[in-house]
Amino acid sequence: MASRMSRRKFLGTSAAGLTIALSGARAHAQTPAYPDWIPTSTKPPKRGGVIARASAWDPPVIDPRHTQSVGLYQFAGLVYNRLIRYAFSDEAGSPTDMTLKGDLAESWQGSADHRVWTFKIRKGVKWQNLPPLNGRELTAADIKYCYEAYAKEGVQAFTFQEIEGMETPDKHTLRVHLKSPNTLFPQNMAEPVAVVFPREVLEEDGDLKKRAIGTGPFILKEHTRKVRIVLQRNPDYYDSGRPYADQYTILSTPDAATRLAAFRTGQSDILWVASPSEADVVRKTNPNAVVQAYHNTLAPFGLALAQDRPPFNDVRVRRAISMAIDRPKQVATVYENHGMLGWGVPWIYVQDKAPTAKDLGPYWEYKPAEAKKLLAEAGHGKGFETTLFYYEYFPQMTSQVQLVQQDLKRNLNIDVKITKLDYTTYYGRYVEGKWDGLSWGFQSGHAIGLDERTYHYMHSKSTKNFFRVNDPQIDELVTRLRQTPDPAGQRAIAKRIVDREYDQVLRMWMPYDNGFLITQPHVRNGASRALRRTDGYGAPTIARIWLDK
Amino acid sequence: MYKYVIRRLLLAIPVLLMSSLIVFGLMRVMPGDALIALMGESGNINAKELAKLRADLGLDRPYHEQYLLWLWQMVTFNPGHSIFTNEPIPVALKKAIPVTLELAAIALVLGLLIAVPIGVLSATRQDKPEDYAGRVVAVSGLSIPDFWLGTLVITFAAIWFQWIPPIGYASLWDDPLRNLQQFLLPAAVLGFRLSSATMRMTRSTVLEVLREDYVRTAWAKGLAGRIVVYKHALKNALIPVVTIVGGQLGVLLAGTFVVETIFALPGMGRLTVEAILYRDYPIVQTNVMLVAATLVTLNLIVDLTYAWLDPRIRYR
Repeated sequence: MASRMSRRKFLGTSAAGLTIALSGARAHAQTPAYPDWIPTSTKPPKRGGVIARASAWDPPVIDPRHTQSVGLYQFAGLVYNRLIRYAFSDEAGSPTDMTLKGDLAESWQGSADHRVWTFKIRKGVKWQNLPPLNGRELTAADIKYCYEAYAKEGVQAFTFQEIEGMETPDKHTLRVHLKSPNTLFPQNMAEPVAVVFPREVLEEDGDLKKRAIGTGPFILKEHTRKVRIVLQRNPDYYDSGRPYADQYTILSTPDAATRLAAFRTGQSDILWVASPSEADVVRKTNPNAVVQAYHNTLAPFGLALAQDRPPFNDVRVRRAISMAIDRPKQVATVYENHGMLGWGVPWIYVQDKAPTAKDLGPYWEYKPAEAKKLLAEAGHGKGFETTLFYYEYFPQMTSQVQLVQQDLKRNLNIDVKITKLDYTTYYGRYVEGKWDGLSWGFQSGHAIGLDERTYHYMHSKSTKNFFRVNDPQIDELVTRLRQTPDPAGQRAIAKRIVDREYDQVLRMWMPYDNGFLITQPHVRNGASRALRRTDGYGAPTIARIWLDK
Repeated sequence: MYKYVIRRLLLAIPVLLMSSLIVFGLMRVMPGDALIALMGESGNINAKELAKLRADLGLDRPYHEQYLLWLWQMVTFNPGHSIFTNEPIPVALKKAIPVTLELAAIALVLGLLIAVPIGVLSATRQDKPEDYAGRVVAVSGLSIPDFWLGTLVITFAAIWFQWIPPIGYASLWDDPLRNLQQFLLPAAVLGFRLSSATMRMTRSTVLEVLREDYVRTAWAKGLAGRIVVYKHALKNALIPVVTIVGGQLGVLLAGTFVVETIFALPGMGRLTVEAILYRDYPIVQTNVMLVAATLVTLNLIVDLTYAWLDPRIRYR
């Protein structure tokens, strides 16, 4: 149970505390303001060198049809390419620059009704010079085969099954016919998981579990589980002169203290930490380290309620619970003021600045008296008992769960019985979607696209609708959104979607940390962008990193 | 003697069978299964694909059938494949076992190098500052958990010396120097833990032996203190210490689970921990049986060593 501190946790916390104290951590009040964007270096890039990173992730599955795990996509985007991509760090003007660029496609064009998309494939792109591809040229037929394979089975089937058919009028043209209009289809093809793999490997091996051969900037030279992943520069990469580094090595390092020590001693060039005090601790020993304050555009975690059954099918109960939770307190205490209040659709599609509590509407503010009144109106004036299960993705989550438990007891007399589960149990129960009460829920972390974050996660018929949203208005709006071509119209509909979500409290988002990306001083052009951490789903930008030493 | 050994080996069969039942049962009782873990890793898999995977892996069969099939695989030395990576288990073990063996061996040697001299010093300087210092070290070793000590060691090595063992395992045969750098600190952490009980036992038994008549006789003969302690007392005092060391091997193996994770070593500990998290039944079951068989064998070896160390002991 989460409400008790175990001996192990006590000792662990003490160790961390002692470490911070002895290494001279400053209090958060003295934290320097770290920039939220590291601009592109003005120096001419240098070729060569090895980029290394101690990584928590060690993917057991490397078949892109069967996983969306960051463990694979911390390097898959370097071995493979996508049809379209988002701007790399050295091309982007800010962390929220979502400009689409051609990757394997040089250009793309939608039909007037947005049901047919034509992609002009870049000429001269070669598969990596390894058997059975041996450096042959990539054609439109390769992409057609790959997309058909995605639609046939695996975790991306939902995305690719919206394709009705494909044709290749010539070697370098791919025409995609969709079952229904979707103006956001190119954005879906730019997601980091939509990588293009070769026909030959799938046909020879029967799967993609043993080999990863693509058209990307790096060749997978070694993948020894629990030890390292070694990526070597692809000399035949279409973007000539790139990548700049000769090698990128990912060192499997499951322990956070060891990853920190690896960065301190120069064994790792890139580090991710969650809190300002941790960033300060690193700067104490590595004063020249470059710190980027990261600001998420959405929260991946929230309180999921069994809203298809009582008492949570009553909107008054959902609103009361939301108003009884002190989110700013969580941001202040758990995330040392470096956190967001919590929302599910990236704010960049709706407004110009990150939302404030006011933007989120009346039910997202902390109003315990009104919450109590509303719950009484719903017939639960004396409170009730419920359950909450969760998996501790990171230590702060347990503190949040406990704060929610306290808030609901104190303000609404709701007794929440907490169960902390291991990942496998949690995931199975959560995704199955038959649980009662509450869960600390999530939505997948890889996607930044508007279609993915609205239609895929909120439509009542979507297999990714883990929060069990079943609202006819939402269904209508998310469908209309993908039929709307002009950005202003999309923005207006996206605003209506989030307003409806906040009003009905369909997904009760919780505060989330923003974290910090820290790089060694010689790393250039490695900044993270919104939901595109350089060490995670944003890894393709590593092709543009160069080492100034 | 031979009868004794055969009897012990026969007794090992029910012990191993019981272990197999316990680990098989526990893995099935634990909520969630490998397929759900696979689903978690993947994002989502539909029910049809799950059912197919379950049938492919034999997880849709009744438990008794699964158990008997697994037992047959174990006795025919064909434990199968990892559910997750599809890697044959013998291949995974071939990579992991040398890492853990090397770590355990170095830890054992370091543990004894710490424990025996300090234990003897404590006994010969009873109730003097050296004794108190030795006892503090022993109690610290008993009370400080591996994960805490390991974290502190790696953190302060980085802060004070700007050095930690190189990450990215290198085998002893490929790169001995790098390998030694990678193993010394984790082995020292494990060895320190291991040394505490041995140190206390050495102190007690040396104190006891020093009061024996034959030691008094040695003193009376005017022998040098070093000769009395190391030649006459220590050899006899070490017999119970062997028992303690034998019993500690289980603790040592358990310690590798944590230390391998902290120091990023790809041994049996990490293999098993990951397999438990992913409910990779074949790997967990095989590893637990391997550890059980190792402990049964080690206990037998320890018992047989008594007779060699102490001629008064006879086995029937």
